[in-house]
This record gives sequence, C-alpha cells and structure tokens, in this order.
Amino acid sequence: MILKKLFSRRKEEYWWMTIAVPLVAILLALITGVIFIKATGRSPLKAYKLLFGSSGLFPSPYWKNHFAEMLLSSSMFISTGLAFSIAFKGGLFSIGAEGQFIVGGIVAAYFGYAEPFAGLPTILHLIIIFIMAMAAGGIWGAIAGWLKTKKGIHEVITTIMLNWIALYLIEDWLVTGPMKANISTGISGTPYISATAKLPNILPGTRLNISFIIIAAAVFFTWFLLYRTTIGFEIRAMGYTLVFGMEAPKASGVNVNRRIIQTMFISGAVASLGGSFIVLGILFQYPPVFEGGYGFDGIAVALIGQNEPVGIFLAGILIGALRTGATSVQLAHIPKTFPSIIEGLIVAFIALQELIRYLIMKLIVPKRSKSD
Amino acid sequence: MKALEVKNITKRFPGILANDHINLSINKSEIYSIVGENGAGKSTLMKIIYGLYTQTSGEIYVFGEKVKINNSNDAIKLKIGMVHQEFMLIPRFSVTENIVLGQEPKRGIFFDRKTAVKEIKEISDRYGLKVDPLEKVENLPVGIQQRVEILKVLRRGAEILIFDEPTAVLTPEEAEDLFKTLSFLRDSGKTIIFISHKLKEVMAISDRIAVLRRGKLQGVVYKEKTNKQELARMMVGRDVVLEIPAALVKRGDTITSVRNLTVKNNRGIVGLKDVSFDVHSGEILGIAGVEGNGQAELIDALIGFTKPVSGSISLSGEKVKSINPHNMRERGMAYIPEDRKRRGLILPFRIKDNMIMGQHNKKPFSRNGILNDMEIDSFAEKKIEEFDVRPRDIYAKAANLSGGTQQKVLLARELSIWHNFILAAQPTRGLDIGAMEFVYKMLIEEKKRGIAVLLVSLELSEIMGLADRILVLYEGEIIGEKKPGETSEEDLGLMMLGLKKKEKVV
Repeated sequence: MILKKLFSRRKEEYWWMTIAVPLVAILLALITGVIFIKATGRSPLKAYKLLFGSSGLFPSPYWKNHFAEMLLSSSMFISTGLAFSIAFKGGLFSIGAEGQFIVGGIVAAYFGYAEPFAGLPTILHLIIIFIMAMAAGGIWGAIAGWLKTKKGIHEVITTIMLNWIALYLIEDWLVTGPMKANISTGISGTPYISATAKLPNILPGTRLNISFIIIAAAVFFTWFLLYRTTIGFEIRAMGYTLVFGMEAPKASGVNVNRRIIQTMFISGAVASLGGSFIVLGILFQYPPVFEGGYGFDGIAVALIGQNEPVGIFLAGILIGALRTGATSVQLAHIPKTFPSIIEGLIVAFIALQELIRYLIMKLIVPKRSKSD
Repeated sequence: MKALEVKNITKRFPGILANDHINLSINKSEIYSIVGENGAGKSTLMKIIYGLYTQTSGEIYVFGEKVKINNSNDAIKLKIGMVHQEFMLIPRFSVTENIVLGQEPKRGIFFDRKTAVKEIKEISDRYGLKVDPLEKVENLPVGIQQRVEILKVLRRGAEILIFDEPTAVLTPEEAEDLFKTLSFLRDSGKTIIFISHKLKEVMAISDRIAVLRRGKLQGVVYKEKTNKQELARMMVGRDVVLEIPAALVKRGDTITSVRNLTVKNNRGIVGLKDVSFDVHSGEILGIAGVEGNGQAELIDALIGFTKPVSGSISLSGEKVKSINPHNMRERGMAYIPEDRKRRGLILPFRIKDNMIMGQHNKKPFSRNGILNDMEIDSFAEKKIEEFDVRPRDIYAKAANLSGGTQQKVLLARELSIWHNFILAAQPTRGLDIGAMEFVYKMLIEEKKRGIAVLLVSLELSEIMGLADRILVLYEGEIIGEKKPGETSEEDLGLMMLGLKKKEKVV
C-alpha cells in the first residue's frame, strides 16, 4: 500500500533537473580542468587517471585504503554541508559551520581526555562526548539565531564573527592555556584522548571508523527532520517565504523567532559532528594549529548537493574523493592543489545553474515534446 | 484602420489549451478590452502579442502587415508596448533614469541627464501625465509609478499599448486618473488593449469588449450594446448572481471586541487612533474607507503582527493578554489576508501542504511532531472536492494555481481550522466574478453558522451587499456607523473622503 502510493505519486515536472544540473556542472568542471592541464603542457588523461585512480571511487591496487580515506574525509564535508543546508532551508544563510566545527572539536577533545570520563565503557564515553560537543556547537549556532531574532543582526555577520571568536578562544587561549598538555609529556596542543574515546574502527587495516556510519545516520535524520516532521515543515515554510518576511507562516501561528533559534541550533550541532570526528577518529587531540576550512567547504558541498540531504551525501563523497586523490596527481607533475581547482570550477558552474538549466531545456525538452 | 489583428492564434501548453483559435481585430484609436476569468487565456494571448510566448499556430498582423514576434524587442520595434501588472522599475533610480534606461541620450560616452530630463518633461506634458522627472521612484505612490511605466512605453514610440490588469494595484482614485489617461491616449491616436476582469471598469472605459472563456473567444461586443449581466454570463458560461442575497440571521453574543485600540505603523506613525467596536455572532461588520486610512494597522493588530500602543482586543469574550498570531489563532481567529501570496499561502508548497498549514501540528495531521501523510492526503482530497479546487491534484504547487483557485485553497484551510471569528481583509481582491461569488457565498454561510465576521474592504458594493453594519475609517478614526439600508454608496463615499462631519458613534 505504502509502496504503491510512493510509486504512484506524481512527480513534479522536470524533477530530474535537480540531479542533471549538478552532474552537468561536474562534467563541465572536468572538461575545463582538461584545458588547464593542457595549458601547462601536461597530460590530462594521466592526471585524471591518477586523480580518480587513487580517489577511492574506482577499484585500484590500493583501493581498500583509498576507499577508507575517502569515506573518512567525506564524513567531515557531509557534516558541514548538512549544517549549511539545514539553516538554508529555513531561509538562514549561515557561514558559521567553520566555528561550530572547531567548537565541537575542542569540546570533544576535552571530554575525551578529562579524567572523570576516562574509565567509562567506550559506548557510554562516546555518547557523552557527542552530546556535549553537539550541545556546544548547537549553542554556538543558536547565539547567531538569538541575535537575529532579538537584535535583528543578520546571521551572515554574526556567524562570521562567531567563527573568529571560536578560533581565537580555542587557539590563543584554551589550547595554549587551560587545556594545554603537561609540558613533561612533550605534546603540543591538548592531551591525547583516552582509548575509550577513540571512534571504533570498522574496516581493519585502514583508518575507517564509525564516523561514516554516524554521518550516514545524520543524513537520514536531516531528511526526516526536514520532510517528515512538523518542525521541518515549518523550517521549509520559513525558507520559502523569506522574501516575504516569513509572513505566511507567522500569520498561521508559527513562532518564527523560536524556530530560527532552533534551526541554528540544529545546524550548529550537525556541524560540530565533523569537528568531533576529526578529533576522535584522526588526530586524537586538538592540535595547536588546526587545519580548518571544512566549514567553508561545506557550503560548496551543500551547493553541489542542491541543499538536499541525499545530494549532500553524494557531493560530500565526491569532495572527499578529490581530496583523497589529490596527492597522487603530483606523479603527473601537477601540484596537489589541482583538485581544489576542480572543486572551485564545480562551484562556479553550479553558480551558473540557471544557465545550465536553460541549456538543458533548449537541448532536450523540444525534442521530447515533438516526439509525443 | 486595423492596428492589430490576430488570426487563429492557438497556444498549447503541456496538458492545457491556453488559447484555442482566437481571432481578434483591433482598430486604431480604440480602447479594446479583453475580459475573462482568471485562467481564461487573456494573459497568454497578450504575452504572445508581446513576444514573451510563441504561438503554437496562427498569425499576427500589425498595421496590416504580417509579422513574427519572437521576443519583446521585436514587439517594441513594431510599436507595441506593455504596461505590466508588476512594475519593472528600479526604486533607487529617478523617474528620468527609469524611463530612459536602455535607451539613454548620450553625449560622447556619458549619460546626458539634461537632455533626458527635458525629454521626459516634454512627453509628460504632451500626454498630460504629470510626474516630477527628478523624484526617486521609491518615493512615489503606486499610481504615479504606473504613470512612469506608461511614459517608458510611450517614449519607446508605442502605438499599441497593452495594459495587463492595471487597476489591480491602484486605489479607486488612482484608477479614475488612469481611466482619464487612457481616454486621452485613445483620443491622441493610440490603440489601447485593456485586460481586466472587473466588469465595472470595462464598462466604464471600453469601446469594444472581447470575452474569453477557457481559452476560447466567446464573442466581441460594443459597450453600448451590452451590460454587466451579459458580460458576466459570457465569462462564466452561466447566470451569475452579482447581487448578494440577503441573509437574515439573528445577531448573537459579542465574540470579538476592540477597545480604544491605538496602533503605530512600521514607520512609527500612529495609523489607528482610539478605535472601539464589537463583532457579534452571526454578524458581518464591514469596515469601509479609502486605502491607507488605518485598515492595515487594524488588521495587523488583530492578527497579532503589531503590538498596539494602547487598548485591548478580546476574542471569544476573553481579553488577549499577549497579542501575537499564535494566541489569536488559538482563540478562534480565521484570517483571509488581502495579499494571499504574501501572507496566506506558501507558494512553493503543494496544495496538501498549504491545506494543513497552521494545523499541521495538531492531530490527526501529526503525532509527536511527525507528519502523518495518509491523514494529510485524505483531508486534502476531501477539501479539494468540497471547495471545488481545480485541478483536483493535491500535489500541484500553489504557485501554479490561478488566483481564484489559490483563494479557494486558502478558504478551505482557514475555514477548516476551528474558529468563531473571521478577519476577512479584501477577500475578493484580484478575483474574477465566479470566484468572488464563491467567497461571498462562503462568508454568508459562515454568518449563518453563527460566526462573527469582520470584513475590511475597499469595494463599497461588496460592503454594502454583505455587511450588517458598516464602520467608516478616516485617518485612523471611526467617523461613522451606518446600516446598509439607511445609507448609499454616495453617502459612504463622502464620509470616506472626510467630507462629512464626524457623526456620533454608537
């Protein structure tokens, strides 16, 4: 009955555009990439072979390892991508994933090494860590939401400022002050987390841990939240009526201010997952200087994924794959930043999505209508 | 001489025949009106003539010559101009800058502002369209903005001017001015195509009238040889009750009362001063007035968008302590906003989503915060049947529905939420007669059920026909109360303009 209903449901006209547009953008980016490589006198074929051969997307001699690394880094991109899209669906343009990510990371590190928790069983210890990290990231996001509703300050401004506040609080104070590891251990940054705080491995012989399973669950949760709950219903209603000052949901009795703060909280909590993953599964401490950028890459991931949870999942894997394959392009005498150029191009073409949509319509649609 | 002829124009959209072999022949210097219900194909036909759509088949002749219009630049070259319903003006630019944009007079590579201003003064004098060429468009009232649009079209040399429902955004006085302009343009040799579904206006200014229904031309009539009833019948395809049937209902208890309400608008100016009234069960209370005399402030306070400076609102006989939309809704208020696209519907949402907006968090539509699609679907299916929403497709997006259908969806939703008071703000704005009739029927039905209704409207005939009592708002104050039987539209009109002294309010 439910299955029948699902399949009989009338699809929107041109629903496939949501899938076609990003695919065309990716294709155009790869083609443009060819021009770049050609221009520097190297072999595009060799470059792409190396890039995708070691990206983890396709079978190769060291596939298992590449595959694991790909999923490991994808988890972080998916987390910040989801965070951006949750806020975006509610009509909020949050640039705060970067700050929420590191806030999540530092809190995860603290509860990872702090004495009273070190003896707990792994599951319990991890649950406590994640709750704390998500609460902290969530609050970091909610502050921006609160400032918007109470003082009318645009979230773009506040989230950017909160990113810097988080960065300086952590790097210039916590990591070099109260949370600094004991000098005698010779460690810089925070102490290492206890063994019970490390994310369990799920593919022996690689670094792959449960972060990917957690993020897959988060993707499902986000979809469920947005499309199956009353909160998501209201969030989408707000986003759709942004240009009208969200008046229609307001007039229907939706407490828009409360929802804005909640949406920013959820968004921040999801972004903090990524920070927890990197601390609990890769670095095992909060380092003195953090190589950031996941928050901003998340915006790109959300754009490529058309702000839909499943799209973000796939886009996150793509970006993870490009990063994983990045080092090996050097064998073709191409700098390892080349995949970032591809990323940039994809985003640029996504920004031209109206044009792509128009061209697809011009090319495909008239033929279809003639044939029927 | 024929200014414009269309022969056998057909336009097919996937699943819809928007224009079905339409033949029109429009003379030079005449005002030719095209009427029809929302979705009858008027706009499609105009978009074909203006080059925004290409016809599936058929021919267009301009001043006797067969033409092909592929885009609006072609249309402009053929001296066809269009004044859109939504203005395409840049608010921060001056009147002159807006008019010349795209065809600026230049000196070398620089914009020649002096010549431009002079030129605008000239055209505006020639056609009697007074504007201040240096004023910024954002500071102008809507009626003057429309003038700027007309000047823009005239400056590009238009001989055939298409007006797409130009009065929809205007106040009655501004509409009067527009009609004078249209007659003047006609007398100076221009050809006017006037799109509307307001029969009163069409009867006031047209020379000839073409009626469209469901994409087909029903006929072309001379104004002198027809009347509103006949036009309405041609438009709807059956007899329409333009007169609103009286419904005698015994007035019941007070449901809603407003006491000494004073409200500031968003510019910080007091827009509503010390207003008090009661609305009773089984009563329709009409609020008449010229737009901008406190109606918006009253509505915003009642629905809870703005907190009053002073005074109180009671709903269901109980004073509302914290005034916000949620509390107003909880105490039984249904709201039909004047701008359904802005305040009523969520356009990208489907019909089914819009149907439950506001009660989505109540059983059976959701349980513990999780939506129940089965219940939502069966509710929406039932409602589109009951309110005759076409298409009968609960997955259709609200944005793709005609104005009348959108209003039906809105009514279906608002009237299915528990309520004992309806705040109806211009509930028939932008609707065709068929849909208008439907709204009237629903309001009377609700009144019979013992619901209290507050009807705020700019249409005097609507208020005279529906209301049991009429309050007149002027400059934020109630300056009189009348019963429809004891007054006339002229009398009310004078009060609305503040020309009659304040009368004692009961």
